[in-house]
Amino acid sequence: MPGNSKSRRYIGWACAYTPLVLMDAAGFSPCRVLPMGNPPDQAGRLLHETLCPHVKILLDRAMSADLPPLEGMVFTTSCDAMRRLADAWKPARPQDRVFLLDLPTDRGDWARRYLASELRRLADALALWGGEQVTGQRLRRSARQRAELGSLLHELARLRATGRLHGSAAVLQRLNNQAATLPLEEATDVLRSAAAELRQEPDGGTDVPIYLFGNVLPDPDTFALIEDCGARIVDDDLCTGSRWLTTTHFSAAGDAFQELAAALLHRPPCARTVTCSEPVAMARELVRRARACGARGVVCHTLKFCDPYLARLPAIRQALRDEGVPLLVIEGDCSLRTLGQQRTRIQAFVEMLV
Amino acid sequence: MYYLGLDIGSLSCDAVIIDGEGTILAWAVVPTGARNRRSLARVRAQALENAGLPADSVEATVSTGYGRDRVDGRLAAVTEITCHARGIRALLPQTRLLIDIGGQDSKVIRLGPDGRVAEFAMNDKCAAGTGRFLEAMSRALEVDLETLSDLDMGARSGLTLSSMCTVFAESEVISLLAEGVEISEIALGLNRAVAQRLRAMVRRVAPDVAGLPVSMSGGVAYNGGVVRALEAALGSAISIPEKPDIVGALGAALIARERSRQVR
Amino acid sequence: MMNTMREYFAGIVNSLEHKLEVDPVQTRTARRKYALETARLGQRLYSGTERVAWCGVAAPFDLLNALDISSCFVEFVGANLAGSGMVSTFLDRAESQGWAPDSCAYHRAVMGAALRGMMPEPDVLVATSAPCSAGVATLENLARHFGKDLFVLHVPQTDSPEAVALLAQQIKEMIRFVAQRTGTTVEPARLREAMLLSNQARELLVQVYHLANRVPSPVSSNDLRDLGIVLPLFFGTQAAVDIARGYRDELLRRVDTGERALPRERIRLMWIQNRIQFRTSIERTIAHEFGAVIVIDELNDVTWEPVDPDDPWEGLARRMSGMPLCAPAEQRIRHLRNLARSHRVDGVIHPCHWGCRQSLGARGLIQQGLGEIGVPMLDLAVDCIDTRAFSAGQVRTRMGAFLEMLAQRPSPWS
Repeated sequence: MPGNSKSRRYIGWACAYTPLVLMDAAGFSPCRVLPMGNPPDQAGRLLHETLCPHVKILLDRAMSADLPPLEGMVFTTSCDAMRRLADAWKPARPQDRVFLLDLPTDRGDWARRYLASELRRLADALALWGGEQVTGQRLRRSARQRAELGSLLHELARLRATGRLHGSAAVLQRLNNQAATLPLEEATDVLRSAAAELRQEPDGGTDVPIYLFGNVLPDPDTFALIEDCGARIVDDDLCTGSRWLTTTHFSAAGDAFQELAAALLHRPPCARTVTCSEPVAMARELVRRARACGARGVVCHTLKFCDPYLARLPAIRQALRDEGVPLLVIEGDCSLRTLGQQRTRIQAFVEMLV
Repeated sequence: MYYLGLDIGSLSCDAVIIDGEGTILAWAVVPTGARNRRSLARVRAQALENAGLPADSVEATVSTGYGRDRVDGRLAAVTEITCHARGIRALLPQTRLLIDIGGQDSKVIRLGPDGRVAEFAMNDKCAAGTGRFLEAMSRALEVDLETLSDLDMGARSGLTLSSMCTVFAESEVISLLAEGVEISEIALGLNRAVAQRLRAMVRRVAPDVAGLPVSMSGGVAYNGGVVRALEAALGSAISIPEKPDIVGALGAALIARERSRQVR
Repeated sequence: MMNTMREYFAGIVNSLEHKLEVDPVQTRTARRKYALETARLGQRLYSGTERVAWCGVAAPFDLLNALDISSCFVEFVGANLAGSGMVSTFLDRAESQGWAPDSCAYHRAVMGAALRGMMPEPDVLVATSAPCSAGVATLENLARHFGKDLFVLHVPQTDSPEAVALLAQQIKEMIRFVAQRTGTTVEPARLREAMLLSNQARELLVQVYHLANRVPSPVSSNDLRDLGIVLPLFFGTQAAVDIARGYRDELLRRVDTGERALPRERIRLMWIQNRIQFRTSIERTIAHEFGAVIVIDELNDVTWEPVDPDDPWEGLARRMSGMPLCAPAEQRIRHLRNLARSHRVDGVIHPCHWGCRQSLGARGLIQQGLGEIGVPMLDLAVDCIDTRAFSAGQVRTRMGAFLEMLAQRPSPWS
């Protein structure tokens, strides 16, 4: 959670496709509204019970005023659930400024042009919200700072993979959460000291290396639980993990909006993004990454009722089976609550891989 | 002039006989069992016997509950939502929010100032938060339903059940027992889980419960533990009629009286 | 396996052709002609000889028809399997192959059909990003399954002018993409003719919906069911014009003669999104027991302007992005409120089709929006496709309680 610093002006965000550098460049501090806290019990008034828990917990937080002071909220049209969250936010918090960034479904040339026009529209809206005019120069500066944050996270993830991060995956997740919510400079300081202070000698453990992928899983305790079952998470592809931070490299002379759009569309994709030239491309990509990190098995954590992931799982399962990589799928609700009952399954999966 | 209300539910068949003034003369409750026609005949006969009336003295019968269409000689079949609302209006007229936990479904009904149904919500296909759920849990805890009612007494914190699915919750209860968790803590956890589920439904029809007089009907209202948990979850006291399980049948009898007057 | 579906559609075509022949002027002619055209489309899709494009719900079918490609949204297959009573085996098959029971059964049935070899192999696939992301996922999976090329049309969720202009460009690209993959050519004259036919059908539909909106209702609960979503499949062809004209003439006659759906209409209802696609007695029961009639469906409305036949692209883009089902909830609710007002409905049924995040996601918002103008909404909590999940008793109780409640309250419009 961000501090009480009066000079900070926070903008909330909820989807890993949100263009954080653009918000930095407009002089705001992007702050991820994470689905942490109690199980939702208010959201059902505005949205239906069978929407994904991510969206419902966020709406519950909005309806119970459990949010930092925000200048506005930026949503994306990433999936049906996220669209409905944007719809419900307005009646839940009529005083908030809300921007809905229309995110293309595929990654083609047209999509890049369209997203660039949407990013320009967001820049204009942020200026109306009292932000700075977004310039190429400002974008390049924040991209550099974000890149530093990204390499610190990358370094910490590398330490985790090799048993050299004190507290392992749970600590890495706590740091990810801080980095996604704190102002950029503070977040960078936190990660810098973590990289220095939490480094340890290799723990020499005999844990089974696994690759974890899925969508939203912010609760550090869940990572501790998975590793307590005898697994070591050596790499991940999670919306709240390795995927939330997009590194953008701007050229000196190019159209910064076009470049930002291209960077957003070509980062490791969430299941909601389609590559027309290779349907369900993420299946092959998953196999590649799982192999590259030396994982012996793959664990998928998907939120209940998450259509994009549920719909791609059969193809992913087939691709992993073809390569002889074991897969365990667990459905959850963002927290330890339902993962508790999955302990036996995770443990048995790990025992199977030993 | 006498009127009969029959509530053919999934767990029990209830009958209420009223007179022309709407006063309850007699009631009867029998388990539904596998053959609901037989239970229906029994509950009707028992209510008549309790009232000391011959069968032909009943002017009109209204049926409700899942078996409402199987009642011969009825004036009308009316849903249990309308009947519970009508019944509670007679017993606890101040009610604005009625929670009815039945055998296989639970309902939350918001009543208008005139006592009529203004809005309602029913549980989805899942049995969580219903009588069946509690029945399964009492089986897992190896106690009868009556004991389950006060089992939470003395529990300190209660625990959070990870699953509300009847099947999973049952196995979770069994493993908690195996781990040596106090039975009172498990009971409190179960009651809270049911209350949470109901609270979500309450929010659908009444975002703000403050100031709304809440009542409860249906057999689960006898379960003190669930009622306490619901009161805590809603932050509101809950009134319960003396015989919560016959509210639906009473409502049906009252509707029989009103409709037969309209017909005449 | 394909033979089963071919025979299924052929059976419907034969029976309807026969009925229309022996009894050409009677009250259900319009509906029969519409059903006949739908079955003929099924025949073409399953013929094994025609070019086929599987599409998303919002695709511009008039353009694909102008290329002589049998095109259809995939949900059509799910609906027909449910209507034929065969759907459960396809759902079972999909689920056994890892398709989640929590997902939409329209799409699960389609994947089940593909896995059992009952889905015609397309030449090309055209997804539309709206109404739902699950639809996109299904087309992506079918493209992978068949190894065929996929195009995604992005339906903008904003009303910026750039969005419409860019969608117009994308539609043009899509047509070139499809033409190239199917070995067809885009002939300007043919395109123009298709647009003129679409405009004619549109004009007739405006009249149909206007005539249907009388109190008491001249249309029964079933006369216009699913018309607004299915008729666009025939846009750009004479068939759409004929169907719409058939309905218009039929309704003119009913209005002239004072024919009404129910002898005593007591409750007027609106149905949200699609109907239940398998046979139930809901419409009959509500008419018989409560004097209730479904007078309007959410999708039975003309929400677009005529398209310029010489430069159709922007007009088509606006038609797509203006579809209430594709739009953010605010716009959708505005449309529902307008329909509720103009049709003087007493209550609204939302089937809350299980697994449809797009539509039931906004259930609470729609309920609140309609509640503000005094129109209550029922959450029917059904699965419109999965016959295995249908509980007649539950549906009867929900519907009954809702209609009992409506019967006790004054009309919002009195």
